Parts: sequence; C-alpha cells; structure tokens
Amino acid sequence: MTKSFSIFRSNSTPQLGPFEQQLLRDLWARGSATVRELLADGTIHQAYTTVMTTVDRLYKKGLLDRVAEGRAFRYTPRMSHEELQRGAALDGIRQWLGSGDTSSLPLSYLVEALSAHDAQLLDELQLLIERKRRQLKAGERNGRPPKTEEC
Amino acid sequence: MFALRGIAVSLTFFVLLYCCLSALVVVSWRWLRWLHAAEQSVADLLFLLRVLPLLAAVVLTFAFVVPSFQLLEPRSADEGMGTLALPLGAAALLLIALGSWRVITAQARTARMVARWLEGSSPLETGAETATLRSRPEAPPLMLVGMGTPRVIVSDSTVELLSRDELNIALKHEHAHVRSWDNFKKLGFRFSPFPGMGSLEAAWSQAAELAADDAAVSNANDAVDLAAALVKLSRLIPVETPVDAAPACTVGFVTGSISVRVARLLAWDETKRSRQLRIPHWLAIPPVVAAVFCAFVTYGPVLAVTHEMTEWLVR
Repeated sequence: MTKSFSIFRSNSTPQLGPFEQQLLRDLWARGSATVRELLADGTIHQAYTTVMTTVDRLYKKGLLDRVAEGRAFRYTPRMSHEELQRGAALDGIRQWLGSGDTSSLPLSYLVEALSAHDAQLLDELQLLIERKRRQLKAGERNGRPPKTEEC
Repeated sequence: MFALRGIAVSLTFFVLLYCCLSALVVVSWRWLRWLHAAEQSVADLLFLLRVLPLLAAVVLTFAFVVPSFQLLEPRSADEGMGTLALPLGAAALLLIALGSWRVITAQARTARMVARWLEGSSPLETGAETATLRSRPEAPPLMLVGMGTPRVIVSDSTVELLSRDELNIALKHEHAHVRSWDNFKKLGFRFSPFPGMGSLEAAWSQAAELAADDAAVSNANDAVDLAAALVKLSRLIPVETPVDAAPACTVGFVTGSISVRVARLLAWDETKRSRQLRIPHWLAIPPVVAAVFCAFVTYGPVLAVTHEMTEWLVR
C-alpha cells in the first residue's frame, strides 16, 4: 500500500503520510472508531489532538465519513483497502499513459512489460507443475497419495 | 392505429422492464461471490442472472401487457400515442436491432475466421462425440467453435507441443464446454447488451472455465496434465493478441486467469471437490411453478393493474 501511495500522486486519489496510513489501517481493522477508541489499545503513541487533527484531515480528503457521537465524532472509512488501491493504481496508469510525448509509446512499454511479466509468471507456474509431478511420482512409488499442496 | 398503439405500449413496457431489471442485476450480482458452491453452479447462476432481464421482460410483456391491451383497451382510433410511448418504443426497437446486429456480426465474423483456420485441416481421432480437427499452426491453440454442430479446433503447434495425456485432458475440457452449451450462452449475451454487464460476463467466463476444468479432471494426475497444457498453450498466445479478441461464438482453452486456474488444479483434492455445494437444476421448478400459480390465480386483477400502467404510459 505504501508503494502505491508514494508512486501515484493525483488529484482523485490523495497522497497519504505514514501516520495517516496507520490510522486508516486501524479504521479498516475496526470498521469504525472514535479518536478515544483509536488511542485506547495503546498502539498509537501520539497526543489526542494529533490523532484528532489527522483523522479530520482524512475526513477532509474524502477518505472517511463521520457521525456525531456525544461530544466526539465516530469515523468510518468511505472505501475499502482494495477500492483505494484500485483507485490509486488506475490513477497511476492513467497519469503514466498520458505522460509520453507520443501517445502510443507508453502503451508499447506496457505491452513489453506485460510480455516479460507474463513469461516470468508462466516460468514460475511451470516450476510449480514440475514440482507437483515429482511429488505425484514419488507418492506413486511409495504407494500412498501425495499430500495436497495449496499454491 | 389500435394495433400500432398496442405495439408501442408493449415495446415501451418491455424496454422499461428490461432496463430496470438490467440495472438491478448490474448493481447486485456481486453478492454471488459470497456463495461457496461448485463452479458449475456458480456459472449457472451467473448465466441466469445475465439473461434474467431479457427473459423476464419478454415473458411479462407477452403474458400481461399484450393481453391486457387486447382485452381491456377500447378499440377507439381517437386516442393518441402519448409522448412517452413513442420514444421508448423506438428505443426498444433500437435495442432489439442492436442485439440482432451484434449476434449476426459475431456469427459472420466467427464463420469467416473459422473458415480461414480450417483451410487444409484434417480430422483428429480422439474417440469423442464432438468432431476434432487438426488445423494450421497459426490457428488458435485449442478452441471450440460452432453451435449447431460444435467442433474443436486443435492447431498443429498444439499437437506437437502437448504430450498425449495433456492433449486428451485439454480436449476433455473443451468437451465439457460443449455439454454446457457455453458457445450458445455467449451468443445470448450479445443479444442483450446493457452497460455494466461486462464484469458479470467476465465472472461467468471465469466460472465456466473453472467448471470445465472440474468436469475434465478426475484425479491428481489429470489436474497436473491440464495445468501443464494450460501453461504450455499460454506461451503460444502473444500478449499483443489477447484471447478476448477471439470471435464471440467460440470458447478458447486459454481463457480467464491462468494463474488462478493452475493454482486451483495443483491444489486439486477429490474429497474437497466432492463436498462442494451443488445446486440442482430442479430447484428452479418450485419457484417457477409458484409464480405460474400466482399469475393464474391473480391473472384478472393483474391484467387490470397492467392496463392502468399502460394507460399512464400513453397518456
């Protein structure tokens, strides 16, 4: 996640600092929380006002929803971890595709990168298959079925 | 004028129902990912959801709208067409024309490409019911084509690259697609276009591939052979020519997420597979019978309500 935030900078997916990311992760884990609840389990070693300012900043960036609860606010993430990552990736790709002097150039890099990635992925899958074949043969020689391995 | 108004009203009702149901399916089909069932059941449900808007719109239009207009509308020629019925009726005609155009062009394109692939092809003896043809090297590695008379095309490169066991299991996978009528289903999708249905179709395609893998494999050795065939044939398809570019009336062997399929095959476990929830097709009978019974019992009042709605449409 850190990588996607630091690489992709755009208007639609805001850039986040380390503390903002930590608070967001805590909120994803909890579902929703007040500032006091975020501080309660002792994993955050910051002052109440710092946490309050940071979640307020996340709210203003459109990443959190909030409802009044007594004299405080209860904050809820507006999107899931996956949705935020997807948005960041799409923004990055859009920005990258629009960055070249020749519009077809970034696309050709992408195809090249995908081909290389594809070939590497297929090599890895081939290795897994060969390993599984050896396991099956060894199992047959020993007269017992091989242990199923989750990939 | 009466007949024309009847047609316009029926088309209006059809297009409204089709669009509302399609929008509902687009926003709600992802709930199915929580269902942990056999891939064939998942594929069947996804297909049913995909065609439900068209089926329901056709059935409801012919069962209620057309009879309500015929029986309850006074045959006076004075009544106008209404401001809503005319554009929506035209939109329905456009939708039907677009669907037909997509089906015809898909079939024509498939026929053209298949004819090219089959130039100089020869039968390949496999012992299966579906005809298998060995084709030129530039043809797709392994592909199911045709609906009335389905055929499996195997390229020369595929025959040379795969071992006998790998080829047999890959052919079994394609024959599973024949039994599921997957070619025909793809054509059905083309007849009923709607924005946002692409992701549902992609999910169905992936589920159909996994279901065909399951149907082809009967032990761990089969699973490894099928995974090996998948990886070997993936290398024959360049990234520049994505497999999705294949004609709509075909089902290619190298389709869907290859890594997911291979990982699943390598983790093949007969006991786990047999414990998977399979939704029997007869489960659809009780709701259909109940719906027909309800329609039968309440037919008169429902016709009256339908007629009121159509009156509002042509007002």
